[in-house]
Amino acid sequence: MIALRPIGRVVATELKPSTPHQFYFWTARDTPVGIGAIVRVEEAGRVVFGVVTDAVAYSDMMTPMHAVLGADGDPGAMDDPTRRAEIRLFSASVLRQMPEEPLQPVPIGPVRLASDDDVRLALRMDAYTGRDRATGIPVGVYAAGGLESPVYLDCDFLLGPEAAHLNITGVSGLATKTSAVEFLLTSIFQTFPVHKGSVAAVCFNVKGPDLCFLDQPAVLSDEERRLYARLGLTPTPFTDVHYYAPFKSDGVNLNTLRSHEALAANTRPLVWGLREVLDYAEVLLNRDDVDAKADAFIDFLGERVVGRDYRDDTLRTKPFNVQTFADLEEFFRAIFDFVEAMGKGGEVWRTHHVATIRKVRNRLSNISTRSKGLVTDDGTASDLPWGGFADRNVYVVDVAGLDPLAQDLVFARAVSRLREHLERRDLGVDHVVVFVDELNKYASADGSDTYVRKMLLDLSERGRYLGLVLFSAQQFRSQVHRRVVGNAGTAIYGRMDMDELATPGYATLSPATKIKLATLPKGELMIRHPHFTQPIFVKFPRPPVMTSREGLDRFPPATGLSFPDAVARQLRTFDRHISTDGVHALVEGRAEPDVLRALAATRRERPADPFAFFSACLGRRVTPEALTTRRPVPSIRHADGDYGS
Amino acid sequence: MLPDQIRRALTLHGLTPATWIPDASGGREVEATIRVARVVEGPALGWHPVGLATSWTEPLAFLDGVQRSEIVPYAGAAPIVVARIAAAVRERRDRTLSTVLETSRTLVIARPSALARAGEALAGLDTLALPEDHPPHPVRDLVDARRALDRARGALEIGLGERYRETGDGWLIVDGSLAESPRWAADPRMIGIAKSHATLPFEGDDLERYLRLPHGQRSSLFEPQTRSLAPVRSWALRLWPWEGRDLLYGLVRIEVAPVNGSPDAADRLSRFLLAERAPVSAPDLCWDRLLYGISAVEQYLRARLV
Ligand SMILES: Nc1ncnc2c1ncn2[C@@H]1O[C@H](COP(=O)(O)OP(=O)(O)OP(=O)(O)O)[C@@H](O)[C@H]1O
Ligand SMILES: [Mg+2]
Repeated sequence: MIALRPIGRVVATELKPSTPHQFYFWTARDTPVGIGAIVRVEEAGRVVFGVVTDAVAYSDMMTPMHAVLGADGDPGAMDDPTRRAEIRLFSASVLRQMPEEPLQPVPIGPVRLASDDDVRLALRMDAYTGRDRATGIPVGVYAAGGLESPVYLDCDFLLGPEAAHLNITGVSGLATKTSAVEFLLTSIFQTFPVHKGSVAAVCFNVKGPDLCFLDQPAVLSDEERRLYARLGLTPTPFTDVHYYAPFKSDGVNLNTLRSHEALAANTRPLVWGLREVLDYAEVLLNRDDVDAKADAFIDFLGERVVGRDYRDDTLRTKPFNVQTFADLEEFFRAIFDFVEAMGKGGEVWRTHHVATIRKVRNRLSNISTRSKGLVTDDGTASDLPWGGFADRNVYVVDVAGLDPLAQDLVFARAVSRLREHLERRDLGVDHVVVFVDELNKYASADGSDTYVRKMLLDLSERGRYLGLVLFSAQQFRSQVHRRVVGNAGTAIYGRMDMDELATPGYATLSPATKIKLATLPKGELMIRHPHFTQPIFVKFPRPPVMTSREGLDRFPPATGLSFPDAVARQLRTFDRHISTDGVHALVEGRAEPDVLRALAATRRERPADPFAFFSACLGRRVTPEALTTRRPVPSIRHADGDYGS
Repeated sequence: MLPDQIRRALTLHGLTPATWIPDASGGREVEATIRVARVVEGPALGWHPVGLATSWTEPLAFLDGVQRSEIVPYAGAAPIVVARIAAAVRERRDRTLSTVLETSRTLVIARPSALARAGEALAGLDTLALPEDHPPHPVRDLVDARRALDRARGALEIGLGERYRETGDGWLIVDGSLAESPRWAADPRMIGIAKSHATLPFEGDDLERYLRLPHGQRSSLFEPQTRSLAPVRSWALRLWPWEGRDLLYGLVRIEVAPVNGSPDAADRLSRFLLAERAPVSAPDLCWDRLLYGISAVEQYLRARLV
């Protein structure tokens, strides 16, 4: 390797001495060195790598008064005929010393910009790249003075088991947080080493169309393609993406901006029944009332009542078989009737206080009405493929249209299920990256100790042993619970807000580094990673997936589909030859709940002939002739009230 | 070899070590005197406004030298002085100074008998012998050493100035008098700037007139009386208002070759020099008289002369 020409020299004075962790050097007036540049000092067998953290310039002028005198008090006077001697003095923090022992002050020697090899050594990437069983994941290029070197994260420290989790912070729109995570997932999927096993991602889309087009290609510039090549990556979108979105309250249109028919094939409904909700009912309660008694009653419902025959002759002679929210409501009614009939002293039913029972009932019915599209009443669920996860697949759960309570429920259940399966090693993959945007909403620094926050805390503290990894993003890191961000082995910072930088969490950054962060262009990030002694700045290309803006242009959401159209759309995801007209004919005049039930049954059964199956299901509740003759059914809208549930 | 190394070598050789650095080891020593000059512009010494400062657009170079000496050991009562002298030319292009020529020497100065006692401990070093016409006297010998060193430094500067002249015919400003060298004294592109007024060119009323020169004006041209054979033309120029400060404040004496000795040339060069007041060379105590370019050469040499 050719040694680059020195671009500076270390200076050490009594007031500005070299230490084992810091040093100063001066450069020419025109220098490629800037804040964040990585440099190399070599002297007498000792090599020291450092990163520039601050800089000053001054001239040989002792007091501003001399400038005034020299210009005769006229600021508009011509330039001094001779430029004063001036200095560019940089301070750098040590990244690595070689040899590491004995640890000594940085020698007073020539300073050079770091080459590719130097960057590899400076960031200790030699320990995990370019060898057998390497674990490097490209995250971007470090660039300075016309040089450009790939920077790798160590997946043992990104996805476990040594450390895990990633948090990214920065202002809206400029910090490129979501883009950075999309890019990094691309990089992980393309470079995660075989010996580490399989990896999948579960992304919660919490904001509009953010993650809705991960399987669509981006239009990238030549420069961006060059960056991909420099990092050894190919700019292709994700190939195996599965979208899950709840229904809107009509129960048939999906509540997502990814509702264009061309994208329907891998967009499925996310629908949970009573059982699924009840398992995580704690989420619903914890928001304002942590209550052991309510927990006990929920346990009772879960263990003794829901999904089995429950017999209590004091309530009614016929056993209860609670499968749906409607069944549950019937059960509650029976309890309240019983307690009312008892009159005075009837505040307790089977050790559960009526107030507790009422609370649980209110919470459960609340979720079933507020989140109608997520929670179905007929007991048929459509869920992520627990146990059937596949390597390098992305599962996007679109919760952007759900109310906060339902969002919490989705997080809690999805993450808990991931955890259970990973514990049992039967999820289908060895590692799962869970991406949560707007983390401050779900694990806020102040605010109440919700179930979701506890769950995220637990995930960030113990997930790495399981291969359950949290990638999270938020605008203001200071607003997120300290332990959740603190446990992120890798922290990334995009363009930052000055007020945020003034909070105590950033006290270790030099003023110049803060300025750099506050003015960071799009596509540049500062990275902390366990192997890097100091934060490092890198550049990354835009992710290889269609931007949400372009996605919405190209695939405008199907808004306001009529009920029959929406049903037809749903059926076509099972068999794309099913025609809208045929479905119209079939559905016309039927009660919507019947149609939804038939649709749910079709989804559950996955029959060979979905249309036949669907019409058969529908047929059971209408006149046999209608089914057999398949004649267009005349409008019987006024007569179908009987078929309501 | 550095003074410390020489000191060690000589101590090992049986001489008495010393570490005294003579007063003002950096500066040139001149005795205060008056040598009456001949006015060559007009009937009597007068004042002439030079006009507004004008920037000097042509390439311009500055030459200066420095010296540093210390007594290293004594040979009996006679001091042995180790001196370092250096000179440099820094050229200005596009407002930026860069060093184009530099030279330095290490000298050992002492009586021949003292040098002899040092023997081969000084092998390979340049030596300068002091006169031995009086018995050794630690103080007087030092004064002699100082004179010898001034001469050696002057010679070094002259040599460097001549080398610079070989590289081109740009303007060269030197710190001090041009009369030191006949070639300098005749050089049409050299300017000497004397900021020490130990030797004054007038006496009586003329001297008073000379020392009360107003800001932005020059004196009449005159021909200084020199011991050397090289005649030059000279005038005084006031760079800064002196009133309320000192008669010598901001007063410099300019020397040029006789070909530049016309009133027009004196005005023109004075206007250029007025522009050179900025940037000021503070914190140098003489900043009212010391051009930044000259001071920058000195700074450069001091930084190198460890
Ligand atoms: N590597 C990149 N280089 C240049 N521009 C980029 C890069 N990555 C993303 N961008 C652009 O930056 C903009 C913002 O990106 P992104 O949506 O990822 O930001 P964000 O930090 O997630 O914002 P918000 O807080 O609003 O969610 C987008 O227009 C995107 O195209
Ligand atoms: Mg975003």
